[in-house]
Amino acid sequence: MKPILEVTDLTGGYLPNQPVIHHLDFTVKENEIVGLIGLNGAGKSTTIKHVLGLMEPMSGTSKIDGQTFREEPENYRSQFTYIPEMPILYEELTLWEHLELTAMAYGLEEQTFLTRVRPLLEEFRMDNKIKWFPSQFSKGMKQKVMILCALLVEPKLYIVDEPFVGLDPLGIQSFLEYMVKFRNNGAGVLMSTHILSTAERYCDRFLIMHEGRLVLSGTLEELRVRSGLENATLDEIYLYVARGKVT
Amino acid sequence: MIDVKKLWTKRRNAHVTQTLKYFSLMANSGLIVSLILLIVIGSVYYAKLLQALPENFPAVFILTIVFSVWLTKSPIRTLLKEGDLVFLLPVESGMKQYFSKAISSATATGAFLTLFIFTLLWPIVQFFIHDGWKMYVTFGFFLIAAKVFNIYVSWEERRLPYKSHQTNYKIMRFIVNFVYAYLLFNEAYIFLIAIFAIMYVLKNFVFGVFKKQHGYQWEMLLAEEQSLKMKGYRFVNYFTDVPALKQTVHKRPWLNSLASFSFKKKNALPALYMKTFVRSGDYLGLYVRLILIGFLFIYLIPAGWWQLIVVFLFFQMFALQLFTLYTQYRWNVVFMIYPIKQDTRVKAFQNWLRHLLIIQGVFYGLFYGLLSGDWMIAILMPVGAILYSILRLPTMTKKHITLTS
Repeated sequence: MKPILEVTDLTGGYLPNQPVIHHLDFTVKENEIVGLIGLNGAGKSTTIKHVLGLMEPMSGTSKIDGQTFREEPENYRSQFTYIPEMPILYEELTLWEHLELTAMAYGLEEQTFLTRVRPLLEEFRMDNKIKWFPSQFSKGMKQKVMILCALLVEPKLYIVDEPFVGLDPLGIQSFLEYMVKFRNNGAGVLMSTHILSTAERYCDRFLIMHEGRLVLSGTLEELRVRSGLENATLDEIYLYVARGKVT
Repeated sequence: MIDVKKLWTKRRNAHVTQTLKYFSLMANSGLIVSLILLIVIGSVYYAKLLQALPENFPAVFILTIVFSVWLTKSPIRTLLKEGDLVFLLPVESGMKQYFSKAISSATATGAFLTLFIFTLLWPIVQFFIHDGWKMYVTFGFFLIAAKVFNIYVSWEERRLPYKSHQTNYKIMRFIVNFVYAYLLFNEAYIFLIAIFAIMYVLKNFVFGVFKKQHGYQWEMLLAEEQSLKMKGYRFVNYFTDVPALKQTVHKRPWLNSLASFSFKKKNALPALYMKTFVRSGDYLGLYVRLILIGFLFIYLIPAGWWQLIVVFLFFQMFALQLFTLYTQYRWNVVFMIYPIKQDTRVKAFQNWLRHLLIIQGVFYGLFYGLLSGDWMIAILMPVGAILYSILRLPTMTKKHITLTS
């Protein structure tokens, strides 16, 4: 399987000489969903910001399709879409206009946009709300707008930060089904989450972060071997790591 | 236990400090000069207007309308914050002292503003009703008394759980205020005493009862506080940037055609900028206001080539104000990660601004041409807009981007 995202020896943070994440090494390949797991403040969001190209690494690189953001900014960013933890919407645009803007910004053809958008709207039961403005949406609906925009583009890579907060069970189910479908079609997904039971069922590999470092990674089976916890659930492994038992 | 009195004092002080800071920023901005200019011109015209008013000008009626509206509107700044809905709910019973401070402060502001408005309108009173300092004091006193009554009673009104019920009582207050003001400006003091009696009954036996029946409507109080705060910010925003200003969105479907673009990647940002401009309350309002004020200046200043400088100043004012739209999306991650190059973003913004400037120039040109018949200079106005956007915009953008990034 070809790697889409390659993070090599990535160190970075908000203040010079005070890195928040240390020497991260990981990849996201085609056809896999990778779960990024860690306590609050473990450095998940900072890692994601580096991958998005919003923060400059102090050392190391984050490459998508073999290129860093600095080398080819436009190409780098056109390879992925991002679902932020807190929905960020344009107060002045309707749901439909959000979708249209996203499609235009990512260079979709109008025909492609129209064929993709209807089934998505129906799946997330937003098809009767296309003229609504964000002020009329609940938190969960705003999250759905973010998800719709990200799915619409059908990029090679999805970067998803805690997507389940505020989403209703049907929404979560639809979202996961789409993720699996796109994965099977060749996309890669990097998903940060705290909902471990869901992660355990849907992610192919896991990256467990603790205090800015990657302490464990691999499939569930590999995590069990590395932590020495036979037959443990992801929950148990995670708690084990979070209590600082693995270094 | 939280000391709510201290909490109020702390918040009031913070509020006063912030207001003073904004005042100093406003005083530093260039717009204040044009405002003073407008006030001077305005007062000259006010005097002229008074001379020109006919004998049978319905002064009493107009004063009555103005004051019955003003008295009925009784805003109260409670300085509540969103977090209070969680953290102050447990001390609800103790909040009486906090709110009574808020009411006192609203009473003081209300009394001051009532006197201010009355002073503004005093020339009309002098002209059509009665002159003399005794009249000024009497009218001032009665108006302030009514304001105090309204603030107190409207506070009790705010305990009602439904907006529609509140509106009903507001209408009732409006009627009482109307009769009150009408009797006052007709100098019917004996009837006025009768109204006082009615007000006393209302205060104690109608509005006073709400206190026993209802608690505080926290969410409505918070909503009112926020809308008052935003009103203040929006006013300040005419002069200087207010980062905390949340834009209100108006759908304005009749303007949608202005913001329709063909489905192409290069149109993504122009469409976004235009839609934001058309729908957000303040940008379009500012644009229209600047065009109208520009008309006023063109009208007042004698015709000639110097009008081009005036128009140029208005281009500058508009462009400066509109740069906030560029920075509006500064913290929007979704916007930042679009696969669109930085200079494409800047160009899209400049293009969009150029179009609006040209439209502005065309409006000024038409107005000037129709007014003076000098179409030569009139045509130079939209041309000036194009020149302005070519010569000034790039340097302004550069300055702005380095300032904000």
